[in-house]
Amino acid sequence: MYSGPVIDCDVHHARSTDAELIPYLSKGWREYVTDRGPAGNVPLTVQDGFPNPHGFMRADTYPAGGGEPGSDYPTMRHQLLAASDVRRAILTFGDDSHLAGHHNPYFAAELARATNDWSVDRWLSQDPRLFSSIMVGSQLPEVAAEEVRRHAANPRMVQVMLVDNPFNRGFGHPVFHPIYAAAEETGRPVAIHGGAGGWANPPSTGGGTVSTYFETHVLWPQAIQTHLVSLIAHGVFEKYPRLHIVLVEGGSAWIPSLLWRFDAEYKGLRREVPWLKRLPSEYFARHVWVTTQPLEVAPRKENVIELLRSMHLEDRLVYSSDYPHWDADEIDYLTTRLPGDWHRGVFFGNACRLYDWKEEDIEQPRAAAEKAR
Amino acid sequence: MDVGAVSDFKDKRVRIVQAGSHEVGVLRWRDRFFAVHNRCPHQSGPVCLGIVSGRLSGSAPGSMEVDEETPVLACPWHGWEFELEGGRALWDASYAVKMVSVSVESGRVILEVGRSRD
Repeated sequence: MYSGPVIDCDVHHARSTDAELIPYLSKGWREYVTDRGPAGNVPLTVQDGFPNPHGFMRADTYPAGGGEPGSDYPTMRHQLLAASDVRRAILTFGDDSHLAGHHNPYFAAELARATNDWSVDRWLSQDPRLFSSIMVGSQLPEVAAEEVRRHAANPRMVQVMLVDNPFNRGFGHPVFHPIYAAAEETGRPVAIHGGAGGWANPPSTGGGTVSTYFETHVLWPQAIQTHLVSLIAHGVFEKYPRLHIVLVEGGSAWIPSLLWRFDAEYKGLRREVPWLKRLPSEYFARHVWVTTQPLEVAPRKENVIELLRSMHLEDRLVYSSDYPHWDADEIDYLTTRLPGDWHRGVFFGNACRLYDWKEEDIEQPRAAAEKAR
Repeated sequence: MDVGAVSDFKDKRVRIVQAGSHEVGVLRWRDRFFAVHNRCPHQSGPVCLGIVSGRLSGSAPGSMEVDEETPVLACPWHGWEFELEGGRALWDASYAVKMVSVSVESGRVILEVGRSRD
């Protein structure tokens, strides 16, 4: 068991209806999406995707008063923040996290601006323990960079988040670099969330489109692997040496295997990427962080730990619940899967280093934090 | 061991000679000569059959620059690259091809068989 302070790095806050976001759109875009008569409003979320036979949310997370899971602060506070000693939670949006999957780049940029303002207004104002990601419409990287800079002065907008992939190019491709320039300039890590090929546009799997949610969920790490390799190979960490990346909801036990292969390939194919000055695994160790959920389950848990330890991931793993999604990992469960001497770092200390927070600033006992809130 | 006249060696080409029980690759790089055992430290491949070029580098992502003063030999098996000044692998100095001393005397290229450099 672990009873110390917790930082949860993947909490999906959501809105119940489009109507909740529409007031945050500019006047013109409000006019665009509304008043279509019997056709209803233009949908704000990316359509299509794979249906989950269970539904995507934990059944117990639907607010008693109605609305979508993750949309009601008191419910989240009760189920997540108060259930353990969560000192800080990083909000990562619901359906709006897929806004870079919109075909219309201008609409996506506007949605990013609106959803970020919604997050600040409707969530960060409610609880000092809540921190938000910055969504960007990466279809227009320069506009996305400006959106990142717009939040530079707000210390509770703590990271840039990329999910869908509008260009079908690995995230290391120079087309994305304006976003990294802004992230580095403003001191924000960039989180790449599972599904980072695209929920529906394009699909997240290499080798071809699969048919079921089951398949796509098994293959969730593929897109993140693509982006990790792309970022390192394109020299993003040479170009932006203070940039940090967080791999969210992509698993972790595959990382040693990929990095072993990556290093071996580098030794033979360095000629193609001579701007790299280190082994790929060294860039990873300096620049990349990984969330815990979903922790791979092996028949012998020691097998997973041995893999993670081989790349010193105990120093790079940060706890994430993925609340309120159906496949969320509970803290008590994770404590049974991770060595005891990892707990403090994984549940708290590593995230403090990632987000450049002083542990002592958030170490105060829970009761005091509740009172302050 | 006399392995030929300087004029017999084409610039930036490796010629493999038999030196006792070993194959040795002799490379002319402008007016400099290098000699290296034809055995890669990785998987014992015929390293001297590989590409010879100036060392490639990139001062920024996407840039491709060449240092023509630093010849590099790339093994045709797996592509590992070695600087011919010293024989070290570019990515890890703990790996190196075995260099052989070579000199030019009176227009002849002389391999000092049995004498390794570095």
